[in-house]
Amino acid sequence: MQPALKWYKNVAVVGLTLASLTLTGCAASAGKDGSGRAESRNLSCTNKIVNPDVEQVSVWAWYPEFESVVDEYNKNNDDVQICWNNAGVGADEYTKLNTALAAGSGAADVVMLEAAMLPSYTVQDSLVDLTPFGAADIKKNFSPGAWADVSTTEGVFAAPVDGGPMGMLYRSDIFKQYNVAVPTTWAEFADSAQQLKDNGYPGFITNFPTNGRAYIQALFSQAGAVPYTVDPDDPSRIGIDLESPEVLQVLNYWNDLIERGLVSHNDRNTSDDNARMLDGTYASYIAPAWGPGYLAGLADPGAVTEWRAVPLPQWDANKPVQVNWGGSSFAVTNQAPNPALSAKVAMGIFGSEATWKIGIEKATLFPLWSPMLESDYFRDLDYAFFGGQQINEDVFIDAAASYEGFTNLPFLSLIYDTTTEGLYAMAEGTQTPEETVTSLQKTFVDYAENQGFTVN
Amino acid sequence: MSLTKLRKPQNDDVTAAALLAPRSQRRSVITRRGRIGWAFVAPFGVTFIALLVIPLLYAFWLSLNTNTLAKGNQFTWFHNYGQAFTDPLFLEGARFVIVFSLILIPFQMLISLITALIIDELANKVARISRLLIFIPYAVPVVIGAIMWGFLYSPSFGPMGEIFGFFGLNAPNLLSADGIFWGLVNIVTWQWVGYYMIIIFSALQGLDPSLFEAARIDGASKLQIALRIKIPLVAPALVLILVFALIGTLQFFTEPQILRSLAGGAITSGFTPNLYAFNLAFVYRDFNYASTISFALGIVVFIGSYIFLSASRKKSGL
Amino acid sequence: MTSTTPRTIPQRTRSSRPNKSHSQGAGDKRSIGRNVVLIGLSIYFLLPMWWLVVASTKSNRGLFSGTAGPLWFDQDFNLVDNFLELFSQSNGIYWQWLGNSLLYAAVGGGGATVLAVLAGYGFAKYAFRGRTVAFALLLGSVMVPVTALVLPTFVLFSAVGLNNTIWAVILPSLLTPFGVYLMRVYAQDAIPDELLDAARIDGAGEARIFFTVALPLLKPAVATVLLLSLVSTWNNYFLPLAVLSDPKLFPITVGLGQWLQLSAASGAGQQLWNLIVTGALVSIIPLIIAFISLQRYWQAGLSLGSVKS
Repeated sequence: MQPALKWYKNVAVVGLTLASLTLTGCAASAGKDGSGRAESRNLSCTNKIVNPDVEQVSVWAWYPEFESVVDEYNKNNDDVQICWNNAGVGADEYTKLNTALAAGSGAADVVMLEAAMLPSYTVQDSLVDLTPFGAADIKKNFSPGAWADVSTTEGVFAAPVDGGPMGMLYRSDIFKQYNVAVPTTWAEFADSAQQLKDNGYPGFITNFPTNGRAYIQALFSQAGAVPYTVDPDDPSRIGIDLESPEVLQVLNYWNDLIERGLVSHNDRNTSDDNARMLDGTYASYIAPAWGPGYLAGLADPGAVTEWRAVPLPQWDANKPVQVNWGGSSFAVTNQAPNPALSAKVAMGIFGSEATWKIGIEKATLFPLWSPMLESDYFRDLDYAFFGGQQINEDVFIDAAASYEGFTNLPFLSLIYDTTTEGLYAMAEGTQTPEETVTSLQKTFVDYAENQGFTVN
Repeated sequence: MSLTKLRKPQNDDVTAAALLAPRSQRRSVITRRGRIGWAFVAPFGVTFIALLVIPLLYAFWLSLNTNTLAKGNQFTWFHNYGQAFTDPLFLEGARFVIVFSLILIPFQMLISLITALIIDELANKVARISRLLIFIPYAVPVVIGAIMWGFLYSPSFGPMGEIFGFFGLNAPNLLSADGIFWGLVNIVTWQWVGYYMIIIFSALQGLDPSLFEAARIDGASKLQIALRIKIPLVAPALVLILVFALIGTLQFFTEPQILRSLAGGAITSGFTPNLYAFNLAFVYRDFNYASTISFALGIVVFIGSYIFLSASRKKSGL
Repeated sequence: MTSTTPRTIPQRTRSSRPNKSHSQGAGDKRSIGRNVVLIGLSIYFLLPMWWLVVASTKSNRGLFSGTAGPLWFDQDFNLVDNFLELFSQSNGIYWQWLGNSLLYAAVGGGGATVLAVLAGYGFAKYAFRGRTVAFALLLGSVMVPVTALVLPTFVLFSAVGLNNTIWAVILPSLLTPFGVYLMRVYAQDAIPDELLDAARIDGAGEARIFFTVALPLLKPAVATVLLLSLVSTWNNYFLPLAVLSDPKLFPITVGLGQWLQLSAASGAGQQLWNLIVTGALVSIIPLIIAFISLQRYWQAGLSLGSVKS
């Protein structure tokens, strides 16, 4: 796309200058940052810059209450200032980032990315390797699993921020009222589901969101499936294995519960589902570590509820497997004029106790940064929403510790979209789990080959 | 219509006047006028070239290239077009918008035509107020309309249950795979019928009353007058609406895009060709193929409107 | 009927007179039926608006678990709180969005109208070389899908540094091929060539002729084109979504869309549903007022395109 840009730029400059001169009689005042990366960039920030005389690094992130985090960082740094904007949540920000990357300019220097999305950007060399900027120094602050999610054999492409180790949140009142034991294995989970129904509970033990995206992949992974692999020596050689017994085991399990009417299959992240989360339609919520914050955000502020947290049900109680729904990270884009400074910001925003305390208390993030993760403060934190339960100690810290990482392919958005469509068809009963995995496998392999990958 | 016939001679008069002038003078007048004509068109023309023609050429150039994730960029001529017209997702999306148009547009036009006829005929207070009320949804931005209907369709806190319950029916889930088609038909109808109704209404208002006064005296019923006289006379307005609706529907995008976050399983990534192009470009980062899909859609729209226009011209004798 | 302006005058008198005498005289039963049909339709079209009004008086809690149902007011009337919250949320950024939308609509829509009037008049009244081709090109462009233009436009703006400025939204909305088409069709009939020739013989310059002779005759069409381009600018969603990253520049559609995302996305933990609903209500009020108060200007104009299609 680059050569096209060049001739195009010239024509565009002429055409547009002409247009703006004729039409508005006003020479565009913002035409500075096209080619020359001047020191004073015309950045517009949501936050207030504390220290206006030093260089700024632009950051896109969608964490709640992030402005206080930025203010805290800017107060404590006199060589760099963060200029922060919320460019949209998840897919919205990616849309903007993709557009800017294709256009060759317009992206922020540092962007928040879900760790799972990183391969989708490294494949086109859109991110800066942080190794020359001291990534090795921060490696000790993260668990091997968290580190594996942001690095490849070619380098370290983001600084890990928060994680999504999984547990099960459940309504203690509902389980008590219908006299059902809280399950610890998936077999027990299915039994509990049946008992709840038999004992007259009108809702569902949980919801199986067909648009669960990373959630679904985590479930596959917990059963021991390795659906995607990338050859460490040649990233264009990949493996896709959706037809494995483990994937099928997971889909058969949930499909059976749906068919028996024990589990619903509503889209998550909708206002409808938010309402059902609280009104007792679901007796449990298989959740990542940031799930509690999500739930608490739905309820009235300061509400004390009957929600409690326990570890994720296991396939084999003797060999527990912990998985990660997904967390996020800060990456430096290849459009950053000052990669060193940008890398400093990416690695430093959540590199202090002060910023982490804001992140934990106001945004309910789950820190991957071990000084905070392993602190007494975090372990002993009690959550009013969970009736004062210390959910980190009880569930999530252990879950995070044994997470080993998960390989994603560079076309994750397509995988997520197609999986959503396939699972929806399965849950609606229009195709069997076997047909679902067969068609997913075929779609992914075809797409990968079309994109020039060698599959298996 | 009569209008065209009336106008023609006027233009010819000018030409005739110019013809009478001496040769050299005539030419200079024409070239001078021509230059002034261009001057009037120029500001628009520059915008048009800078913001439409150049971007389109660039997009076309993109569509002739193939950029794969693993292998990089290659110039591949019309390879992408071959792929597009055999791509099940594109064909499925194209089939959807065509079926959607075939059901939605006649439905919409029928409602707006009937409403306009009644309002024109009644001309009382009810008519005046309802004319306004029916038109109001047009003032609601499409995005906000879609957000609103998304709330209304919500099975747990929307009013669908109440409304259908009132008639003793079970509310359909308009966000499910089976219901989404009608859910979208409803949103588009709600948003645009008022606008179409006003177009037909003002065309009706422009008719010469003596045309149907005679028929009335002959004992023709209101229905007959409407069917035999009024509707044929407002045919050009109907054609205009059809063109609007056709172009709009084939490019269907915003509503499914907004509702997609509520009905992720039912609205697939290739639900409509435009949605597919959007997803290809901005989600899967395949701008080349996305441009191809846009142009392929453009070809379909162009052929569709051309066939339609030439057919309707022949029929209505315009 | 050589022009639309004169014909609107006689029709007014006709539509009220003969009809009334007829329907009243007969005590027409079917007219009751027709009234009922209209009232039924009005209810259908009004229902979502009614829901919006009711919903905007509710808190988040009331929206999701209110007792009175979605179509009636809750016990606790939260409209004022919601309204005030629009001022406090992110330092009142909502009002900035609303202001931006007004600015984009005024400058973009206004500019588009100016360009369309000039071009439409030029096309209608001057026979210049390339006119037919240019006009055909213009008609064809009505069919260009928006998505096809967003990426290349983004690249273009990026090359000249216009992305993330107000011009990235305003410049593209200056383009209304359909407005030019309407203007041309209207100007052709509304401005008799004899009038222009007479003015020329009197020695008036072309610019003067345009402003003093042509423009007054074009008024209804100008109102219509202005209205249409205001609406389409106000509706603008996709392009601003792509070209703007600074929330302070968002138009209301993109802003509310972002709130929707924020509220729905898990992990983001912000529940702004009450603000989305109240914000949506507040944002459509200006347009509804504009439509109602300008009714007599646009109504006649909307059927313009149909005189020759």
